[in-house]
Amino acid sequence: MPDATWPYLDAHQSRTHEPTPYEDKLAATLEEVFTEDGHELTDVIRGLNARQVHAPDGAPWTEESFRAEMHRLGA
Amino acid sequence: MTLSCHDTAEHIYATGLRNQWHPVVPSSFVAPGALRKVTALGEQWLLFRRADGTLAMLDDRCPHRGAPLSLGKHLGDRVACWYHGVEVTTDGTVCAVPGLPGCNLEGKKLVTSLPVQEAGGAILAYFGDEEHPEPAELTLPGPLTDPGTDAFLCYAEWNVPWRYAVENLLDPMHGAFLHHESHSMYDGDTTAKFRIRETDRGYFFEKTDQRGVNFDWVELCRTGVDWVDLEIPYPPSGGPGGPFGIVGMVCPVDERRCGVFFWRYRRVQDWQRDTWRFLYRTLIEQRHWEVLEQDRVMLEALPADADQRENLYQHDLGVVRLRRLFRADAEAQHH
Ligand code: FES
Ligand SMILES: [Fe+2]
Repeated sequence: MPDATWPYLDAHQSRTHEPTPYEDKLAATLEEVFTEDGHELTDVIRGLNARQVHAPDGAPWTEESFRAEMHRLGA
Repeated sequence: MTLSCHDTAEHIYATGLRNQWHPVVPSSFVAPGALRKVTALGEQWLLFRRADGTLAMLDDRCPHRGAPLSLGKHLGDRVACWYHGVEVTTDGTVCAVPGLPGCNLEGKKLVTSLPVQEAGGAILAYFGDEEHPEPAELTLPGPLTDPGTDAFLCYAEWNVPWRYAVENLLDPMHGAFLHHESHSMYDGDTTAKFRIRETDRGYFFEKTDQRGVNFDWVELCRTGVDWVDLEIPYPPSGGPGGPFGIVGMVCPVDERRCGVFFWRYRRVQDWQRDTWRFLYRTLIEQRHWEVLEQDRVMLEALPADADQRENLYQHDLGVVRLRRLFRADAEAQHH
């Protein structure tokens, strides 16, 4: 007898919520920065700010604000 | 007892090896205070979690007349069968027969209770046969216990015999073909020479002429639970931290079905870890899922007798070795 719940096939098992438009944009830009600018933290801050993708408060990213935001979104 | 040593080697090979640990379902499938019915190694089981999180796994068969205990009632530290109310504790002891208090079933351990452990967000259970009820020593995969490594579990249920799912992992060459249209396995040679390298816990099956480009090596590890370790490079968009690894395990559900457990892991810490986790949730998990679906579609399409009519070549040595190990175990486990 097949189990009523079979099969479990869920593409998203790590999310706590649908990404917001801000999160989608930030993620896509990060991928672009990693591809074009490099993998160091300084590259990331420079790359995001150069693309005018700012922190949630609208200010340019700093190392501190970026670390804090990634911690909020990725911890 | 549920798993018998008198089963044929063929049945054991088809439904999963005994006397070792297997993953069952993700921990999140059984909430505190909940019951959940699961199938594993061709048998029905009941997962029972107390409100404080303590987990137990029982044969899903009432010791009275065989009704599924999973249809019963969670009473905190025991389950009451729905049919006639017999109560069974988490160690499998009948603690009450409400219809006939004092009945001689009371106090008897009549239900198999499997040893369980939780690791990396999954429930593992030890499936011993009648002659081996004591759990085998279990060493968990390093990437799941190493504090410098971060992992996400992906679990999926496939209409595929368990051994085909494991064989697929011991077949790295399919990466360059089946997964050619993917975010991580588009690169590298489509021809390769492989070798087997024995280790004290299993063996490596690896390309001799390419590493770090595609799915180029895999290690089978038998450490009380069977698992594989492998590594696949991320493109530069994946950010710092190098390749991602996969710890893979398969739950034999029954002869035709399995549950696959893939922990995608990466050696990252600090902001690199947080960033990887953010990208994983937002973008990468979906892409990994699409790759996994390619495997599922192919494996579910294999005929049931696929392994009876083959013409193998050098790339299949990893699979041949695997079958030999599993066959030998199945033979040894039946008496
Ligand atoms: S079958 Fe469970 S109480 Fe009778
Ligand atoms: Fe694959």
